[in-house]
Amino acid sequence: MSSSPLVREMIEDATVRDTPPRKRRLGILFWACVGWLILNLLAAILANVLPMKNPFFQDYAVVNASPSLHHLFGTDDLGRDIFSRVVFGSRVSIEVGLGAMFIGFGFGGPLGMLAAYRRGKFDTFLTTFMYIFLAFPAIIATIAVLSFWTPRSLLKIIVVVGIASVPIIYRVIRTATMNIATKDYVIAAKVQGATDRRILVKELLPNVAPIGVSFLLIGVATVITLEGSLAFLGLSVNPPTPSWGNMINESRAILQTNPWLAIFPSVAMCLFLLCLNFIGDRLRSHFDVTEVKL
Amino acid sequence: MSQEQKLLVVKDLNTTFQTPAGPLPAVGGVSFDLNKNETLGIVGESGSGKTVLSRTIMGLQPRTNVTVSGSVLLNGFEVVGASEEEKRKIWGLQVAMVFQDPMTSLNPVTRVGKQIDEILRVRMGMDRQSAKARAIELLELVGIPSPSQRYRVFPGELSGGMRQRVVIATALAGSPQLLMADEPTTGLDVTIQAQILNLLEEIKERLKMSVVLVTHDLGVVATRTSRIIVMYAGRIVEIGSTREVFAHHRMPYTRALLDGSPKVSNPSHTRLMAIPGRPPNLQDLPPGCSFAPRCSYATDRCHQERPELEPSGAPGHFFACWNPLPTTRGVPA
Repeated sequence: MSSSPLVREMIEDATVRDTPPRKRRLGILFWACVGWLILNLLAAILANVLPMKNPFFQDYAVVNASPSLHHLFGTDDLGRDIFSRVVFGSRVSIEVGLGAMFIGFGFGGPLGMLAAYRRGKFDTFLTTFMYIFLAFPAIIATIAVLSFWTPRSLLKIIVVVGIASVPIIYRVIRTATMNIATKDYVIAAKVQGATDRRILVKELLPNVAPIGVSFLLIGVATVITLEGSLAFLGLSVNPPTPSWGNMINESRAILQTNPWLAIFPSVAMCLFLLCLNFIGDRLRSHFDVTEVKL
Repeated sequence: MSQEQKLLVVKDLNTTFQTPAGPLPAVGGVSFDLNKNETLGIVGESGSGKTVLSRTIMGLQPRTNVTVSGSVLLNGFEVVGASEEEKRKIWGLQVAMVFQDPMTSLNPVTRVGKQIDEILRVRMGMDRQSAKARAIELLELVGIPSPSQRYRVFPGELSGGMRQRVVIATALAGSPQLLMADEPTTGLDVTIQAQILNLLEEIKERLKMSVVLVTHDLGVVATRTSRIIVMYAGRIVEIGSTREVFAHHRMPYTRALLDGSPKVSNPSHTRLMAIPGRPPNLQDLPPGCSFAPRCSYATDRCHQERPELEPSGAPGHFFACWNPLPTTRGVPA
């Protein structure tokens, strides 16, 4: 008696699935975004080496020029090359974005995981503290601190924005960890005699990390916007250092005669943020289903 | 009774959760013991406290809002009141646990082999290579085909039955003397259930372990346990050898449970007897027998006074009931 295909299928299913489930694709748009980000990062890092015009050189012969082969993005009201200022300006945005998230995740991440795992008084105290912190509108608090903490420097902006982001990151990581800490495999690790540190590092961290990474990207985007807002209020790095926000701020006065100065940094910022958000969101939904990949 | 024979001695164990609505006694006054190389079944409805009991025996409670009293002596180690650090010494090496749902009891982002390795390297002090060899051996022991290839897969690539086998392999890694299996087959379909139960039985014999099998399914415990504890509302209502409990049970609740499970000997289309009502709210237990409100034999006394466990006559068989069923000795189950 030969077994029917259905029976064979059942037997196979009851033993082991021989082919691993098909990998879900991230899509071409995702990789295009990754490519754009890498291009931006490389440009920012290599800005000094690349054959570009000096972003500080004021060429009074060509003020407010429109885009041309000579000045790809045109020049601003002081005759500085907008293209090289946009590239150099990305440095500030990227540094603030990464730096602030480094501080935010450096404190918010471990504290959130610890609070979610330990619970009890430690968690109650810390969470209450963070929620009080969170009740202040971050932008107002940042503006207030930066207005008084002079002279301004990139480092100070990173520190202030970074600290402001701690409670938000704490909350996200704590929620994600709590979700995982109650899973059976964490309890299973515990009754195998794993120490708390081992559970945090081996069981919780790898499962929280995907959520953390996608939130990190969205966080970087948020912080870059925040830097833009601060710059628009004149609270970011001091001129003549270019930053995307600074440039948009400077363009205000000459918007009607030379719109290029507003357009190019805005587009650069917009594309950068769009890519970050898209990648972050895509990764989040990609990793969301690790467990039900059936 | 010599103490050496006993792997586990539980005396007057109480587990009470402190909730905003008041204390909730999930386990009350439970005493029993477990011999070496014995399989004990704990049966009861959902919410009868069997899972809390098994976790309390392991010393697994939330860090806060719970009070445990009584004594759990596991191979001479007092679990109640021990610190996490002390319990860590017995966890994995003396006692291990198999969970209900194999879908959630393996870490989805770690290869299955690594999950077995972990305990071998960290707890047993094996080096990388011998740990890997041992892990593959364990995978083979639990009946996983081509174990050296399965060592590298992620849990998501295995079916439910295979995952539960991996879970059992991780539990066996520390060669524990006691295996707590909390509804180990509830998350699996029926054909796989029997395989897993047979595997547990076989491994228990081969490794000379004791097994506590927690389940709501009497069919599961019928052939695979030597003794059964029937729990209701956090208390033991009947305890005895499996044969005795099935054939000569005295507690109406045990009878009701048996009537509620299908039997091959029944003619087809027999209606199963459901137990009327719902399990009681543990926060608001009646002063008498907890089962009295649902019991067709209940008298006034049942509602006012709580019955204690008393011997039925057969060795090791106890029941808690004021109006026990007449002895059915001689009548086949």
